[in-house]
Amino acid sequence: MNRINQKLQENKKLLSIYFTAGYPNIDDTVKIIQDLEKNGVDLIEIGLPFSDPLADGPTIQDSSTKALKNGMTTEVLFNQLKDIRKSVNIPLIIMGYFNPMFQYGVEAFCKKCQEIGIDGLIIPDLPVDVFHEEYQAIFEKYGLINVFLITPQTSDERIRFIDSISNGFIYMVSSASTTGAKSGFGDEQTHYFERINNLNLKNPQIVGFGISNNETFTAATKYAKGAIIGSAFVKHVTNEGIGTIDGFVNNILNG
Amino acid sequence: MKLKVCGMKYQDNMEQVAALQPDYLGFIFYEKSPRHFDTKIPELPDTIKKTGVFVNEDLNTVIENINKFNLQAVQLHGEESPFYCNMLGTTKLLETPVEIIKVFSVKDGFNFEVLKEYESVCDYYLFDTKGKLPGGNGYTFDWSLLNNYPSTKPFFLSGGIGLDQVTDIKKFKESNASKYCYALDVNSKFEIAPGLKNVAILREFQNKLGNNTMEENYNVDEKGYYGEFGGAFIPEMLYPNVEELRQNYLKVMAEPDFQKEFDQLLKDYVGRPSPLYFAKRLSEKYNTKIYLKREDLNHTGAHKINNTIGQILMAKRLGKKRIIAETGAGQHGVATATVCALMGLECIVYMGEIDIARQAPNVARMKMLGAKVVPALSGSRTLKDATNEAIRDWINNPVNTHYIIGSAIGPHPYPDMVTRFQSVISEEIKWQLKEHEGRENPDYVAACIGGGSNAAGTYYHYLHEKDVKIIAVEAAGLGVDSGESAATSVLGKEGIIHGCKTLLMQTNDGQITEPYSISAGLDYPGVGPMHAHLAKTERAEFLSITDDEAMKAGLELCELEGIIPAIESSHALAIFKQKQFKPDDVVVMSLSGRGDKDLQNYIDYFKI
Ligand SMILES: Cc1ncc(COP(=O)(O)O)c(C=O)c1O
Repeated sequence: MNRINQKLQENKKLLSIYFTAGYPNIDDTVKIIQDLEKNGVDLIEIGLPFSDPLADGPTIQDSSTKALKNGMTTEVLFNQLKDIRKSVNIPLIIMGYFNPMFQYGVEAFCKKCQEIGIDGLIIPDLPVDVFHEEYQAIFEKYGLINVFLITPQTSDERIRFIDSISNGFIYMVSSASTTGAKSGFGDEQTHYFERINNLNLKNPQIVGFGISNNETFTAATKYAKGAIIGSAFVKHVTNEGIGTIDGFVNNILNG
Repeated sequence: MKLKVCGMKYQDNMEQVAALQPDYLGFIFYEKSPRHFDTKIPELPDTIKKTGVFVNEDLNTVIENINKFNLQAVQLHGEESPFYCNMLGTTKLLETPVEIIKVFSVKDGFNFEVLKEYESVCDYYLFDTKGKLPGGNGYTFDWSLLNNYPSTKPFFLSGGIGLDQVTDIKKFKESNASKYCYALDVNSKFEIAPGLKNVAILREFQNKLGNNTMEENYNVDEKGYYGEFGGAFIPEMLYPNVEELRQNYLKVMAEPDFQKEFDQLLKDYVGRPSPLYFAKRLSEKYNTKIYLKREDLNHTGAHKINNTIGQILMAKRLGKKRIIAETGAGQHGVATATVCALMGLECIVYMGEIDIARQAPNVARMKMLGAKVVPALSGSRTLKDATNEAIRDWINNPVNTHYIIGSAIGPHPYPDMVTRFQSVISEEIKWQLKEHEGRENPDYVAACIGGGSNAAGTYYHYLHEKDVKIIAVEAAGLGVDSGESAATSVLGKEGIIHGCKTLLMQTNDGQITEPYSISAGLDYPGVGPMHAHLAKTERAEFLSITDDEAMKAGLELCELEGIIPAIESSHALAIFKQKQFKPDDVVVMSLSGRGDKDLQNYIDYFKI
């Protein structure tokens, strides 16, 4: 069974952390993954940096620009990860925009992911219908789970379609925004989370965008299976470096 | 030959078929027909004549229906007498007169003598096959019978015409029998079910029949692609916005209200039609006939306003209160700020920090027009990053905001919508050139390409005309191989930028690279998907022009014709040094903008 599906079966709320590969320093990738696993994180999203990250706010944009300056490429990332399964067992997801994967060759990219032991992909600008028509078979061939986003504006009908195509979890964007926005969790979110709950989807949901501390993590996971932290973690390594990941994770989980 | 599609029954289907722009759409007001029309007719373009088909119907009922459905033609399918036709043609009860088409079922031994009495009381005849029920029988008759046609009245040819008849129709067209054939009337051979037309087969029929039209489709298809380019590669957060637009844009554009307001503003506010000017001295110098389409004379100084007028009206129809836009040189920003002022809507323009410094006068213009100019601080801080910022703004404001994209780029339906708004350029060229040269089609149409909106508008009505060659001019910057260039068709590879699959400049790793051109309006790392398709299929010839070549051509136009062009347009003008045209070739070139905004550039370059 895919490590993501295994993890989703555990009877607990899941914490997923995003970081930008190649940031703050080009060779930090493996150490960050190992530390996150060691400190009790459940899932990791490895950000493959892109020059034009449309769905990201300033924090992840900056980290991407710097990572590219540091020399990060698809090839470099794959090299860094080639022995990763010797040291960690945590589910790993690559999150990136479609163009770099498209240039690498979608099939070659998926094949490489399988070799390394990547479990899934999140590609915000690959629409679900294009995935379904052109790439789903390739993903399945290499045992990769593709994760789709939904937002408060996504219609029930479309959510059901996305649910039918998904085989891991659904990435529930907390509010209409780019990453890193401080959205807070008010009535609107509660309403939205309840609406999704009532749909009785076959895939569990993990909430992302606007989660930065224990309070927002707790609020988000009240309704969902887990929550994703991105910008707050990137900010943390910007300010503190990668030496205090334990403190960051502990803060999120225990306040 | 014109085309009439008959037996329309379903509203959605009517819209789909209307998109193919047939000349007539027929609605059968005859209850016994399986194609009996019993709903409403959606808003259709003015160019399509709505035709009511009646069989021995009470005259008053016919008149009522004509008025009620605003029919422009009536097709009489029974034994209506000449007297009946005459009544219909002369009655004062009609709000507007209609074309009268009288049908005759033709079989062996048909006596054309019967037509005589109808000569003066109807506008067209329609020859159909005799079958059990009037019309839609699916049988053809022997068209050679029309060799004996004694009249000069134009007629519709009908009866079982389908894709299989294309060769026969072509032969028929060359024969004497077709001399007065005005239109083809099709129905049952293009159906999925009675009254439900198969749009794909209709299109194929149109393509195959047109002798001067191309078989390949250069327009957008139903899925939003031009060949393999286009589509909507957008994050889910943008899906509702883009989908709302996709579902509505054609409908809104077809509303007579909308068309009226759009045309009116283009005329009174923008100053259209823009002249088609025969550049005599330039023509003499290059020994060919050069016409300039003077988009530089539009309000705000470029073609950009054609699109912003269209989109602001669209935004209003969709109930949007807040407008965002990206801009490079500031031309599109100014055109957007202008229409927002005109309509009293909030306007936010994203502009790269570097461009803000380079284009101070346009920044001031936007501010005077009440727009807020927000610097894009990310990435390379130029046009592509301004576009990213505008898209991010849209993600954060999904309900009340419309994004006015400034070129024929972005996710579907933007490239097509922008192209349609800009297509007024070639629509005008057609009749203007006819006045000048006695023909609608030039030998060449040429335009510069940044994202490709002035080019798309200049090409649009010529895309499928075989005798019109298309030239696209890209900015080569310091030279195509210099590393400082914006010649996307040469340097670009297939990829995804700003929501569409197209040709774009990028690294091997798929990172989008920064283009360079002296002209701020041409340094975009991609081209619109329509142009990627035109390049790939070689429908258009792509030429690259360097900074130096463009600047010299700009100055040459000043000296020879007294026109100071935008540096973007100067790129197009420079092709005459690169490509030799024949003396009697007619070359129509889009002069996309005026040079006021570039004065400082010209001053610095020529040390004026
Ligand atoms: C005068 C003029 N021409 C051409 C362009 C290029 O745009 P497009 O390729 O969309 O026509 C611009 C863009 O700013 C412009 O200002």
